[in-house]
Amino acid sequence: VDGTVHMGSRLPPAALSLKQFLQRQKVLGVYRSMLRTIRQVPDEADRKYLRGWAREEFKRNKNATNQDAIRMMITQATNHLEELQKSLLLARS
Amino acid sequence: MAARVLQQCVRSLGRPSLRLCPVNLALRAAVAPAVPVHRPFSSAADSRRTRWLGQSRISSVGLLCRQYGDLPPLTLETIKDRVLYVLKLYDKINPEKLQVTSHFMKDLGLDSLDQVEIIMAMEDEFGFEIPDAEAEKLMTPEEIVQYIADKKDVYE
Repeated sequence: VDGTVHMGSRLPPAALSLKQFLQRQKVLGVYRSMLRTIRQVPDEADRKYLRGWAREEFKRNKNATNQDAIRMMITQATNHLEELQKSLLLARS
Repeated sequence: MAARVLQQCVRSLGRPSLRLCPVNLALRAAVAPAVPVHRPFSSAADSRRTRWLGQSRISSVGLLCRQYGDLPPLTLETIKDRVLYVLKLYDKINPEKLQVTSHFMKDLGLDSLDQVEIIMAMEDEFGFEIPDAEAEKLMTPEEIVQYIADKKDVYE
């Protein structure tokens, strides 16, 4: 696996590098934030649709390995998240 | 004499249904049998309160007890039942393979995204938020039960 840190320790070959590990944590964090934000959507049908959409988006890309591509996707997801949060704020005012 | 009339009215009421009328709440609850019955849950969207009040134990018939607006106390057993119930509803889990000790990733073939969804479902079920750092460590139903029991101060 690219970027595996060889520290002389007995890490299995599939272990993630620190960068990859942190990136993975970031992805899961964005997914969780997305689901939490979707909870605030007033209509149940909309919530269901958004959950399905988010799940599809994340699942489709889950096997990506190129770190730059992943970083771009994380930014996209974060942008979607912020848009959703802004819409919810507007809807409430 | 009023008490006797009241007792007769109470005894004539049938078993409480899941839809409890708030006015007759105390009367109906007093008539419920002492043995808790396992009712099939009509839909996950039913309010927790309605579902659990239908199962609460009532001391004695004829005694009007005040029902304050709170859920019955949690026990390890009820937590486990609810956790497994939520998991069985999850579409990615095969209910037949599910055990309390099943590991989500190793035994049930789920991935970390599914695990996030599962923990979110647990938050919805038990009504409190689980922070990210602790959520990602919960990998079996047993661990979830332990965590909730910890947070809710349930000892047995």
